[in-house]
Amino acid sequence: MTASLQHPGYDPERLLCVAEKMPCRVSQAGTLLSLMGEPAQYSYPSIFLYGHRSTGKSHVINTLLMDLELPHATVSCVECVSVGLMFERVLLALFGPDTSTLLPRSPSLSDFVRIYRQQAPLSPANQTRYIVIEKAELLRDMDSNLLPVLVRLQELVDDNVTVILLSEIVWDRFRPNTGCFEPLILYFPDYSKGDLQQILSQDIHPSYSPELYSAFINILLGVFYSVCRDLRELRHLAALNFSKFCEPLKEGKVKESDTHKLWRNIEPHLKKAMQTVYLRDVSSVQWEQQLQQTEEKECAALKGLSAHAHVELPYYSKFLLIAAYLASYNPARTDRRFFLKHHGKIKKTNFLKKHEKTSNHLLGPKPFPLDRLLAIFYSVVDSRVAPSASVFSQISSLVTLQLLTQLGHDDQLDAPKYKCAVALDFIRAISRTVNFDIVKYLYDFL
Amino acid sequence: TPRHATPSIPSRSLPARQPGSALEEARARLHVSSVPESLPCREQEFQDIYNFVESKVMDGTGGCMYISGVPGTGKTATVHEVIRSLQRASDADDVPAFNFIEINGMKMTDPHQAYVQILQKLTGQKATPDHAAALLEKRFSHAGPKKESTVLLVDELDLLWTRKQNVMYNLFDWPTRRHGRLVVLTIANTMDLPERIMINRVASRLGLTRMSFQPYSFKQLQQIIMSRLNKVKAFEEDALQLVSRKVAALSGDARRCLDICRRATEICEHTSLDPGAPGLVGMSHVMQALDEMFSSAYVTAIRCASVQEQLFLRSVLMEFRRLGLEEATFQQVLVQHQALCRVEGLQPPSVSEALAACQRLGACRLLLLEPSRLGVLQRVRLNVSQDDVLYALKAE
Repeated sequence: MTASLQHPGYDPERLLCVAEKMPCRVSQAGTLLSLMGEPAQYSYPSIFLYGHRSTGKSHVINTLLMDLELPHATVSCVECVSVGLMFERVLLALFGPDTSTLLPRSPSLSDFVRIYRQQAPLSPANQTRYIVIEKAELLRDMDSNLLPVLVRLQELVDDNVTVILLSEIVWDRFRPNTGCFEPLILYFPDYSKGDLQQILSQDIHPSYSPELYSAFINILLGVFYSVCRDLRELRHLAALNFSKFCEPLKEGKVKESDTHKLWRNIEPHLKKAMQTVYLRDVSSVQWEQQLQQTEEKECAALKGLSAHAHVELPYYSKFLLIAAYLASYNPARTDRRFFLKHHGKIKKTNFLKKHEKTSNHLLGPKPFPLDRLLAIFYSVVDSRVAPSASVFSQISSLVTLQLLTQLGHDDQLDAPKYKCAVALDFIRAISRTVNFDIVKYLYDFL
Repeated sequence: TPRHATPSIPSRSLPARQPGSALEEARARLHVSSVPESLPCREQEFQDIYNFVESKVMDGTGGCMYISGVPGTGKTATVHEVIRSLQRASDADDVPAFNFIEINGMKMTDPHQAYVQILQKLTGQKATPDHAAALLEKRFSHAGPKKESTVLLVDELDLLWTRKQNVMYNLFDWPTRRHGRLVVLTIANTMDLPERIMINRVASRLGLTRMSFQPYSFKQLQQIIMSRLNKVKAFEEDALQLVSRKVAALSGDARRCLDICRRATEICEHTSLDPGAPGLVGMSHVMQALDEMFSSAYVTAIRCASVQEQLFLRSVLMEFRRLGLEEATFQQVLVQHQALCRVEGLQPPSVSEALAACQRLGACRLLLLEPSRLGVLQRVRLNVSQDDVLYALKAE
């Protein structure tokens, strides 16, 4: 620890203990402490903390408030689906369990302020009370008067209270159109590579030396740092892959000092694990099992969740889906050329329009009417199909399966429009099962 | 608490102070709430309404009258005066006794509350709106023993509008009943309200007895103030004329006129050197009061804005001129703003700072902005005319 926390109002022993809990965040914590001032002093009405995901915003604030034993309430806006829940939690944490029952059934802001003002003198504050609101960006979707009130709550309830807002979004995108009190804005910068190394090396495996673990972290960061700087994700990856790293040591093949061999051993595994960063495609339990039996199987042989892209469909549904795909990705002008028998010879260059030079597959699917879908469907299906109710119900069930999407209103009976929502690989797999060469019919691959 | 307590407010411990000087006396007389006994300049309208109501009450029939006029032309005051003199006449047995009921659309939470209020003022009964409507229906459609006429004043009629217009329909339908004996006087601001918002069967029941109050001319305004002052010597003659001419040119609102006069007396009191004898309200005081009342706050707000805010407004103008449109996105304006800062030799602001300046201007309504969550893509429009901005920025 280089820097240490110092502030006159608090016990230095305790501050030392707090500073140990938040490596690489001591300067931010120091700023916060000096904003908060001594416990009895009035603090600034509202503080807005922002920074990327897992830069330690909640951790720093909660550790400070917990360990210094300051009165505080922590609420997360994700949990508070109604403002009533938020008020209840704040009152509960600040004034004890009896007070939250005083709130009426669907409390308004004025109810909250009234009860707060009633309760505040009953349990007088010789310390600043803190209200920490996590995921504050969701406050903007609640009542429009909530955010302006929270940032100047101190003035409204006439009590030594400070509201701390935590968010990943900058304050510019919070400001209500009618203006509001400006909170103090504090930025939490990302951890640097050295910071991450320092923090991750702290959770040591008991049976190995700290140097070995930090060497492992060094290798891990060398692989992953370019794609992922999220501390939480990196920690998860480190925990998953450390056992693999230690395997040669367990078997006694190499010594701890022989880092090069260890690196050679772990590196291909980490490269494979890279594909599953953030995506819990293979669950961590599966991954660990797989690591144990790696002798028999190759790492990526296990199919992830996204590889299961094969769906069993009825025969006509497959053709309906193929027809929808063709309708979505081919321009309507070219339907004559693809689906009529005597169309004459037309080269692609002849009817290539200027704006169509970019591939339709890059621009995404285009909407098409039901009539066109059915026309293409009848021309791609070899046999005669009666337009029975089952064909139409299959279309609507494809919509429910989210293989097609209907555009516009739900209750549209005449001429509804659809879009095809499947990828090329999927439709190729489907058309292979019905012996239909879809690439021949796609305008982009002409 | 008692069930039928009379509502009251706490009374003063000391009585209100009597006006001491001539200016205070004048201020008390010029207060909007101190309506004089007889309204000057509304004699014709008074006579018309009086004759209408008197004839209906005398005959024991019913009828409707629609009174319109811009705010501050004395509609409500005139009707009240008519009712007062009619009541005096009925005390002297010149006209039969009648009930007077007043409802105000603005004082109701819901248009259907009108029934409840009418019923309560007629009989003292409390009922739900539906029940009250049924009771009133019965009362007005059946003959009763020796029933009195009822005069109903409906103020702010346009707020009684509902989708099916049943409240208005009932109010205008009851007077047409044979045993109704109801006279309805309705007041609203716009002259063509019956044609604009009422469906045909409602408008036809309202009938064609219309009266519109013209805005006061400057002579009338002057006369009103003179009669209010009633020989209290507080104003110079020219000052009064200036006030009445200015107000008459703009709106002809008597209340506005009285407010300006009151404000002018205050200014006179504050600026006078000798607090004991402040003297008369002169031209300069009135000019200052008029300035306070009529001048646009926008120009002052632009002049008092910070340097970056003024630069932002200027770059908004530049961007509008470049685009030829009256709307630009924030990022387009920002490019101009930063260029302008370089020209002026100032440090160009960061995006956040410029956005803060922009949103501050938006919060005081100099700009019209989209929700701030759109960030740099939000579109910016001016809420004031470009000429005003140029004028305010130039006069430094």
